[in-house]
Amino acid sequence: MVSTIQNTDVKQGFGPENMRLKKGIIGKDSSLCLLAEDADPVSSLQKDADRAVVVAVTSRAVFDCGAEDGDDVYGVGVAFPLLQALQRVNERLLEENPAESLLFDVVLITTDSQQQQQSSRIISNTRHYGLEISRFCFSSEEDFIESLLTNHVDLFLSTDRSEAAQASHKGVFSALLNRKVASSEQLRVLFCGDAVIRPDTDSPSASQDAAQSFSAQLGEMRQRFGLLHSPLSIVLVTSRGGRESCGTALRTLRSRGVSVDEAYCLAGAPRSPFLSLLRPHFLLNNDLED
Amino acid sequence: MSEIKLTKSAPTEDNGEEKDWAAAKAFFDNLKTNKPRPPKPRYAVTIAVSSRTLFNMVKERKIYQDEGLEKYVAYQMEHENEPLMPGAAFPFVQALMNVNSRLRELYPDSEELFDIVLMTNNHAQVGVRLINSINHYDLSIERFCMTGGESPIGYLKAYMTNLYLSKDSDKVTEAIAEGIAAATMFTADTENELSKTQLRVAFDGDAVLFSDESEIIVKQHGLDTFFEHEKEFENKPLAQGPLKCFLEALGKLQRKFIAKNERLNCPIRTFLVTARSAASSGARVLKTLRSWGLEIDEALFLAGAPKGPLLEKIKPHIFFDDQMFHIEGAQELGTISAHVPYGIGQKYHKGKLIEQPPKKE
Repeated sequence: MVSTIQNTDVKQGFGPENMRLKKGIIGKDSSLCLLAEDADPVSSLQKDADRAVVVAVTSRAVFDCGAEDGDDVYGVGVAFPLLQALQRVNERLLEENPAESLLFDVVLITTDSQQQQQSSRIISNTRHYGLEISRFCFSSEEDFIESLLTNHVDLFLSTDRSEAAQASHKGVFSALLNRKVASSEQLRVLFCGDAVIRPDTDSPSASQDAAQSFSAQLGEMRQRFGLLHSPLSIVLVTSRGGRESCGTALRTLRSRGVSVDEAYCLAGAPRSPFLSLLRPHFLLNNDLED
Repeated sequence: MSEIKLTKSAPTEDNGEEKDWAAAKAFFDNLKTNKPRPPKPRYAVTIAVSSRTLFNMVKERKIYQDEGLEKYVAYQMEHENEPLMPGAAFPFVQALMNVNSRLRELYPDSEELFDIVLMTNNHAQVGVRLINSINHYDLSIERFCMTGGESPIGYLKAYMTNLYLSKDSDKVTEAIAEGIAAATMFTADTENELSKTQLRVAFDGDAVLFSDESEIIVKQHGLDTFFEHEKEFENKPLAQGPLKCFLEALGKLQRKFIAKNERLNCPIRTFLVTARSAASSGARVLKTLRSWGLEIDEALFLAGAPKGPLLEKIKPHIFFDDQMFHIEGAQELGTISAHVPYGIGQKYHKGKLIEQPPKKE
């Protein structure tokens, strides 16, 4: 499928605050990934490619593309507070150390042709809402995984279970976004302990390596902050095993450089009341079940 | 607020819940160690204990207060492999475990057991030492929440908690306001030797099992009015107090032993220890219990005499009272006590109205 998006088209879609889009990367099947350069101090920092933690989020999760406000403004989607929380972590990291290179690098990706057509609207909406997006990938169902791989995405987040599963099978570390309202003040990441100690043998080892690598990065970020008032909280939940399982998961994560803040051992107690209270933005190592 | 109810919701289990439960069951059944698996929360009598009631953390608490959170957590991590010493709730927890063994003998497939949950504000890194300590004493605690500072109240509900024990009276007050039986634990000054074969629980009456309606009359109108009132309303049941539901839960388990002809050998025994007198105001209390369909094994009417010496003879694993005066009296003579911060009694000390300083926000 030939992409109909050209740089000139994109420029014309803009209001007074012109966001210049340079350096398009055209993927094998003509998906288009664009780097955004604008006046914003945070994203204009040359994010060190090796150190940045690249998080890709589907546009359908960020914006409610059905609901239009008449003047092309989308409603906010479930992932909106997540992006704000990621931004907050970056801000606080830079407060601690203005030369910090371990930052979140947010990629907004479309994963179907319908969304792919709305590229200029998507870009203008991120501007409208003041979201800090480093890169846009306008892909379709056929080639979004390729885009994820090309962009060295460390974590792919979607509200669509099958999308996340597909990406995971191809070695991209993926997680489902929590549909319930989450905080925009603190990024809350939930590790499912049962999988920490007994990794899912179905997913390929590339995905497991990616999982461990992301966890280690997250753990390192967490260490930049004190115990209290951290913009990032790492939560562990074990659903099935007893205290030994949870204890082992705590120590295993510790050995990987992840210092857990909150731990909950359910040993068979119903999970949903806890998830409602914990309000994580996403769950890691979950068997992609609710 | 005089009506406090805590009922576990009627079974409308969803598929996800059943799956989690089945997986946990399979997990425990497959363990080589024969560890008893925790019961299904819906059917269990769930007791949540804080880390400071389960273990003695006085020294560590001092480090937290004097040197701050970071130093406290670092200290706990350094000493992670040193088991903590038992705290005020420890004998109570062991007694609960004993009741569970007896229940499992008689009813191997039942989920109606005590479920003990560790509910702590501690950071999860401190939790490693707590887990190691639980392992050291081989306590049957398989569920816990380490909230890293968040309020436990929501989690108490999530576990369908029947009783919450903590050292923090603010949390206890909050729990009671939410309809959860709760009390602030105090260690005894000396240690009485407690039964290893029978769980013994003592309750004060007014403002613990019953509402504080009668106590209000005593405090505001004096004893004479109180006696007259209680006589007049002898046949009108008192309203429920915060711990009524816990007595009810104990009664449910007791009946399981009675059903198997184990009444004389029942590993649960309950006591009412009240300042009321048998001759006058006591009748209303017994009639109220009867109207609720609840039994108490021994009712002791002190007619105003101090509770300490009597409790020393009873030797309960825990004694619930709403008045600090009685808690202190019990402590002095070796009884582990739990204060229920409910009702008019909180505004008085030894019969006198306490001047409350304006609360700091």
